[in-house]
Amino acid sequence: MKIRKKILPLLLLLVTALLAACGPNSRPAETGEASASGKDAVLGSSREVLRIVSGSENSQLEPLLQEFANQEHIQIEMTYKGSLDIMRLLGDEEIPYDAVWPASSLWISTGDTKHRIKHAKSVSVTPVVFGIRQSLAEELGFTDREVSVDDLLQAIQSGKLRFCMTSATQSNSGASAYIGFLYALSGNPEVITSEDLADDQLRTDMRNLLSGVDRSSGSSDWLKDMFVAGDYNAMVNYECLIIQANQELEEQGKETLYAVYPYDGLSLADSPLGWVDNGDEKQEELFLKLQEYLLSEDIQNQIQRTGRRTGYTGISEENRDVFRKDWGLQPDRVLSPIRMPAADVLFECLDLYQTDFKKPSLNVYCLDYSGSMSGEGNEQLVAAMEQLLIQENARKNFLQASSEEINILIPFNDRVLAFYTAKGSGQELEKLYDTIKQLRTGGGTDMYAAAERGLKMLEQYDLSQYTPAIIILSDGVSSGSFSDFEEAYQELGQEVPIFSIMFGDADETQLEELAACTNARVFDGRENLTEAFRSVKGYN
Amino acid sequence: MKTKLTGLAILILVIIAAVVYVFFSRKNQTAEISGYLGGEKIGLLEDEEVQDILKGRYHLVIDYSKAGSLDMITADFTDRDYLFPSNQTALELYEEIHGDPVQSQIIFNTPIVLYTRSAVAKALAEQGIVREEQGIYYVDMTGLTEEIEAGSSWSDLGLPQLYGHVSVGTTDPTKSNSGNMFAALLANTLCQAVADEQNIGNILPRLQNIFRNLGYMESSSADLFDQFLKTGMGAKPLIAGYESQILEFAAENPETWEQISGDIVMLYPTPTLWSSHVYIALNEAGTAGINALLDEDIQRLAWEKHGFRTGVYDVPADTERFGVSGLAPEITQISPMPDAATMERIIQALS
Repeated sequence: MKIRKKILPLLLLLVTALLAACGPNSRPAETGEASASGKDAVLGSSREVLRIVSGSENSQLEPLLQEFANQEHIQIEMTYKGSLDIMRLLGDEEIPYDAVWPASSLWISTGDTKHRIKHAKSVSVTPVVFGIRQSLAEELGFTDREVSVDDLLQAIQSGKLRFCMTSATQSNSGASAYIGFLYALSGNPEVITSEDLADDQLRTDMRNLLSGVDRSSGSSDWLKDMFVAGDYNAMVNYECLIIQANQELEEQGKETLYAVYPYDGLSLADSPLGWVDNGDEKQEELFLKLQEYLLSEDIQNQIQRTGRRTGYTGISEENRDVFRKDWGLQPDRVLSPIRMPAADVLFECLDLYQTDFKKPSLNVYCLDYSGSMSGEGNEQLVAAMEQLLIQENARKNFLQASSEEINILIPFNDRVLAFYTAKGSGQELEKLYDTIKQLRTGGGTDMYAAAERGLKMLEQYDLSQYTPAIIILSDGVSSGSFSDFEEAYQELGQEVPIFSIMFGDADETQLEELAACTNARVFDGRENLTEAFRSVKGYN
Repeated sequence: MKTKLTGLAILILVIIAAVVYVFFSRKNQTAEISGYLGGEKIGLLEDEEVQDILKGRYHLVIDYSKAGSLDMITADFTDRDYLFPSNQTALELYEEIHGDPVQSQIIFNTPIVLYTRSAVAKALAEQGIVREEQGIYYVDMTGLTEEIEAGSSWSDLGLPQLYGHVSVGTTDPTKSNSGNMFAALLANTLCQAVADEQNIGNILPRLQNIFRNLGYMESSSADLFDQFLKTGMGAKPLIAGYESQILEFAAENPETWEQISGDIVMLYPTPTLWSSHVYIALNEAGTAGINALLDEDIQRLAWEKHGFRTGVYDVPADTERFGVSGLAPEITQISPMPDAATMERIIQALS
């Protein structure tokens, strides 16, 4: 019984009136500020805010959300996370969002154990497909026939096809593709079981297959961006993002991708938008209004123009030009997906991916120990690294290390202070954490020197056997020289992404410059450093 | 200074308003109750006409959280006033765990049906598994179960555009009602009689096998039905659900329904089972829901807009209104649900 609820708004009004009476001249309503926080996009400007945590593929729909925000005079805050991260979030005590919008309803069903998600409805549907450079697709004979996962595997195993995919433990598109691979490698059983997963041959085959992964990422949209900016042959991604990549590639005069729909390994993303039931009726009303807007005929049509399948009757005549047949798109294809395994087997699959199947990561952490990091900054750093290095914590986010993984630690200030290397997922790794705790801060900041040292250390490894990345945490304007670093980078002659985490008074342009030069990205750690470290690890 | 005076004036006005409001609302209180609800009934409770009657005649607001019919029995419902699952077994289970509820009542019924697309229905008809009688489609559960157990692929049945083996998509039988009832239907089919504690043991391994092969299952029938309509024939060629689902969809989305009705086919299993939507009051406050939901007009709306067959509103009369071809005026071939103890063994075997 909640009669009190009715009186609450009145009490609030009372308090507001009191404030107005006693305070100085009333001030204008605050404008929406994007500023430093977890949210990735702020649409519209109002005190009435709807916070949505969403798969990154929906960033394509921001103009439509913006329109709604303007129309209703509200503010929509979008935070982009991998669908599996969203699933894990649903298990937390507090869900700091009003709505969730993962790529597939699978992750709401498996994550929402406390039954807090209401009104979930599919906004659009898109299959996970392979996008392969047109000429390569032709050479492989994939453009004029039905292709099985096994056909793709053979091309990968023969070294003709290398590809990019998102991490199966962070993002839905990667997880979907990976499950498709598992089916094919186990001889297409009706459904995958634990017994299938125990098979030695399957394990060897899967490791071989994933060794063909050129680059990984924690999110589908960023994978698309990275693909367009880089020089790769193929990627696994949503049909709608393959379409968008092609539009961008064509604009840049680059070769476009041919969409391949593996008939025995297809999965669908049904993009459900659901409300987090926090008992706030006004928010609920607002949410329903947004959902109704997105599902209205006109907006559904506009969403379809972004390459997503909407409605009940297939692709409309007017949108057929988006689903171009010369790009291999099949708007009329009956999309017949594989069966997802039961939840317990699914998690077993994901666990194996992280600890056994995927190419081992080679992470070089360059961590800022300059004077300005002392005190709270350093405490936050230690707490963040605890989440990654102490495996019991890392496991909760599917970020645990594999037995072959290499982690290198380079603490720096205005020079490189030391370096430490740990192999595998055991004591060596957890010892790095003790080292981090004991190091003292002081001096200036030169992240370039640390990055250069990182590159030097990578030279000792056969990088084709690893997914390498340098991860820099810096809190200040860096001295040193970008061009010296650039020279060293050219010398290495391999694409190693240099991710960075912005902290304190870090200079964003310096970090962006590094990211652009190495086809990587900058993460914002100013609001929540632990979250930023988790995200960056999810990319590797 | 001027601002301060204005502020004080507002303050006084607000205080007066609050006092008047509290006084008024004491006299005419609207109670809010909350509970767990099977997803298929959300449309009804979100219906503004229904909400208006609840508020106007009964001073009641019924809030809900969606939960599977069986999940809700074992969920933490300390702060809840009612449970509204979709079968009698849930009530029996409740009684077993928690004792007699404060009050319970069947509010309405709907039969379990299968949904498919015309191409699939046609292929199944050619196999003799589906037959049409006066525009109504019936599915022979024995024949269908044989195909499933034999591991026939869709292409064996003449549907090469569909990948995989013949199966019926259902919700998780250990969590949600439609899946649970479909498991009961399969158990009856395999036993060639109503499953009971004597005969269930023999067929459990076969039942387990059928469900194991489904892999991941949705936990809500509303979600499953939404996916059936939206993801197309390829994703969900054949699913189990409630008759009410298509009726509600057709009533709520007449234009969309007109566009797709030619392709959607409802199949009545022979015999089928009744899903009885039974309301369980957990406390005194919760009992108000029973009285209100049995209101004649709410019962009428439950049929006309949401497709639930009710006792008050005489059913066979008015099947035309939905524009759903193949809607049976009467459900005559009904088999009883296995008893709670047998259902518990089924659930345990499928967990």
